[in-house]
Amino acid sequence: MHIFANPARFLSIARPATPWLFWTGLVVLLAGCACGLFLTPADYLQGDSVRILYVHVPAAWLGMGGWSGIAIAAIMQMVWRHPLAAIAGRAIAVPGALFTAICLASGSIWGRPTWGTWWEWDGRMTSMLVLLFLYIGYIALARASAASGQSGGVSRVTAIFALVGAVNLPIINRSVVWWNSLHQGPSITMRGSTIDMAILWPLGLTLLGFTFWFAAIVLMRMRAILAETKVEARMQRMARDAAVGERVPA
Amino acid sequence: MAMKSKHQRLILVLIALVALIGAGLLAASALKDEAAYFYTPYDAKTKGVDPGKAIRLGGMVVKGSLKRAADGVTIHFQVSDGKASVPATFTGIAPDLFREGSGVVAEGSFDKGGTFVATNLLAKHDERYMPRELDGMSYNETTHQIEGQVK
Amino acid sequence: MNHWPFIIAAYGVTIAGVLGLSVVSWRAMRSAEARADAMKRDR
Repeated sequence: MHIFANPARFLSIARPATPWLFWTGLVVLLAGCACGLFLTPADYLQGDSVRILYVHVPAAWLGMGGWSGIAIAAIMQMVWRHPLAAIAGRAIAVPGALFTAICLASGSIWGRPTWGTWWEWDGRMTSMLVLLFLYIGYIALARASAASGQSGGVSRVTAIFALVGAVNLPIINRSVVWWNSLHQGPSITMRGSTIDMAILWPLGLTLLGFTFWFAAIVLMRMRAILAETKVEARMQRMARDAAVGERVPA
Repeated sequence: MAMKSKHQRLILVLIALVALIGAGLLAASALKDEAAYFYTPYDAKTKGVDPGKAIRLGGMVVKGSLKRAADGVTIHFQVSDGKASVPATFTGIAPDLFREGSGVVAEGSFDKGGTFVATNLLAKHDERYMPRELDGMSYNETTHQIEGQVK
Repeated sequence: MNHWPFIIAAYGVTIAGVLGLSVVSWRAMRSAEARADAMKRDR
């Protein structure tokens, strides 16, 4: 873990990994979407609308996985004072929020032809909407901490907010089990899957593809933050030198 | 010294995390009834819902119970959760997925006779996904009936 | 009901979001790293 504590060593791995993850992810996710759109059979009950599954499920996984990553980064920041962890948390926020929004939008679009409604305030939908608001709050706090000179990372308050928000993750996961909800129960559990293989297989491709792409975006954003931090540090040094130079003429 | 403070921070953060998740889960379980999106027929019977009170009723549409009235737009059916069953009626256009043997969430209220008068129907499907051919049944769009042998 | 307009809308939203964030993140990274490299050369 501490191998990555050094930004130079992190960059030597992140630089070649970024395009590799990006292009592999994009190709695999597009291939998975194409298979899901044209190769799989329609569902016995839902008909063709079942195809929305192949983007809805990866979006839910990355929306929740993103916040798990932010929470882990927050723990590493608070306990080990890991400099890159604070930057990683900030880099995950925007793609995580994007996937949470995609999950809500694709779910809403899926709900209209199947359930007969765009939106209902059931446990799953409400808790997922709360996750989107948590992301928006985190992004705002991260911006504020960047402005107050946290050298690219996020402030302690932001990290604490990430941990508090993590409480929502088990609630989202269990919402369909605890409460009577319009959303169906989990299909893929420890005991196996209630999705027939004929329908299930492209989901593996889109899950893998979107995850690789997500990782590439996080690396890109971390590299951008590290480069900006370097420029800012240099500017501050120059400003200080200039101020000193004025007071003591050569 | 540095090692010790790192340990302290780890323990503090872990305690805080456990406390937070515990509090969150407690709050969620306390909300259990309020956060339920619908009543099941068993809930409605045991808790006693006043006639005229707007609620949602969710369960399975009992196989063989769906009857279409002479006017063509009113349907009568039984909603069951395995423990109890209540009669329901609805006038209007039901969603595509509304059919016998599948889930339904009906918005409306009970009348004095104990029949649930729905003002809106939502279809609820379960966690099973499979191709049509595999299930060996076809769905008639006009009668809302499943035709063929159900496994 | 024809489901295809819904399917196309769901995939459209997803692909638009993915491509949009790809472009934004890539550009931000390239410009930030270019500035950092230019600064290194100045020294």
